[in-house]
Amino acid sequence: MIEILGLTKAYGALPALNGITMTVPAGEMCVILGPSGAGKSTLLRCVNQLVAPSGGGVRVNGRAAPTNRAQLRELRAGIGMIFQHHNLVPRLSVLKNVLSGRLARLPLWSSVLQIFPREDIAIAMAALARVGLADRAEDRADRLSGGQQQRVGIARALAQQPQVILADEPVASLDPKTAQVVLNDLRAAAHELQIAVLCNLHQVDLARQFADRIVGIAAGQIVFDGPPADLDDAALARIYPELETQAA
Amino acid sequence: MSGSRLLLGGRWGRGRLLRWAIGGLAAVAILVWSAQGVNLNLREFIRGLPWVADLISRMVPPNWEFLPRLGRPVLETIQIALWGTLLSMALALPLGLLAARNLSPNLTLYHLTRQALNLLRGINEFVFALIFVAAVGLGPFAGVLSLAIHGAGLLGKFYADAIEEIDAGPVEALRATGARPLQVFVFGVLPQVIPAWIASTLYRFEVNLRAATILGMIGAGGIGFELYGSMKLFQYRDTATCVLVILAMVMTADYVSSRLRTKILAG
Repeated sequence: MIEILGLTKAYGALPALNGITMTVPAGEMCVILGPSGAGKSTLLRCVNQLVAPSGGGVRVNGRAAPTNRAQLRELRAGIGMIFQHHNLVPRLSVLKNVLSGRLARLPLWSSVLQIFPREDIAIAMAALARVGLADRAEDRADRLSGGQQQRVGIARALAQQPQVILADEPVASLDPKTAQVVLNDLRAAAHELQIAVLCNLHQVDLARQFADRIVGIAAGQIVFDGPPADLDDAALARIYPELETQAA
Repeated sequence: MSGSRLLLGGRWGRGRLLRWAIGGLAAVAILVWSAQGVNLNLREFIRGLPWVADLISRMVPPNWEFLPRLGRPVLETIQIALWGTLLSMALALPLGLLAARNLSPNLTLYHLTRQALNLLRGINEFVFALIFVAAVGLGPFAGVLSLAIHGAGLLGKFYADAIEEIDAGPVEALRATGARPLQVFVFGVLPQVIPAWIASTLYRFEVNLRAATILGMIGAGGIGFELYGSMKLFQYRDTATCVLVILAMVMTADYVSSRLRTKILAG
């Protein structure tokens, strides 16, 4: 569960987030919808502290913001993250990329020597099987197609056995068909593994199709919060104000 | 008038032409001055040609009897290059990490390390060799140390530059999993830099081997000692053998190492 309360973030004098308050329960696929530059990416990165919030608070599974490095790593270990450009290590095997999701739970020296316990390999293989790529485990990551690499990215996040997954524009660089597969995997993970998924998208139709709930953001503020069925033209006009003026 | 304008093009204003003329004159002046400084003299060169021809004639045929005596010095030369490279690698690794802006723990340390690397790189290995010959005495160990120290400056910079060029995405992804810094380095940074690191280290070995062939001239071990000695004793046919052996050695190393490098960089 993610609880965000009055979250603000400014880059210098430039405000990015302006008082975001929302809660994502376990098992919910929550899509953040908004134009680029609305603060979606910053919001996600505040949840796992890749970006330090300027004000307000984020609680993940009831835990308050970390105060030291060990707590920070503990927080991040429970949060999977999926990126627009998958961010796999190209020269490593698919399996090792997925196993890197286990690193926070593994002893330092053996993991650095790339020695992994049997049970962790089993977890990684199960995560790969879930995205339908178990047969590619030994291939180098850069041998896979863009869509497959993104699914390995999902497997890496799942290998963390997280309570929360953050997905930052996971399908922005994929073709429409592959985008469907990836978002389907993501939603299935949310529902079947009871993970709270916070997923940034900028495509309205994909948000409608896959979200349990849509949160619309414009200029760092929430301008819509509800089920996809409630996302009408008036709501869209609030999320994409520029679009409206262009059409008029 | 219109002809010259056509030739030079419209953008050549008078001011620009003047600046170019002054610059050209200055360049010529510097070249002439330098030529005088180094006694550049075509007539002297032509007059010396017969002597060069004489020297070469006294070098042929190479003295193949001398070849067996070169076995040990050749091995020593390779050993100097090998350990010079290994030690410079060991020194360059920590320095390279500190001198990479995206990895260095703090900016002061980054700048200090960069300056230290510049210093090591800026001093020629033969200058280091002279110092080490004085410090640890004549012999190959002085040569190894000089290659190690100078090479650390070069490799450290290569390593650091390679780290600065990596894709930050995988590193952010690993940090986001809660991995510890050493794990982030081993899984996120190392796979991205290892081909470049190996390639630059191999290249450094080639350079070190070439350097090691003449380190002997200043008493720092290797085949250079035999080369220098044979010339001093006017045994020019022995010198020729030395030169040919050095050539064979360097060319073999270049060939093997460049093949390895292309293989590593491609895979």
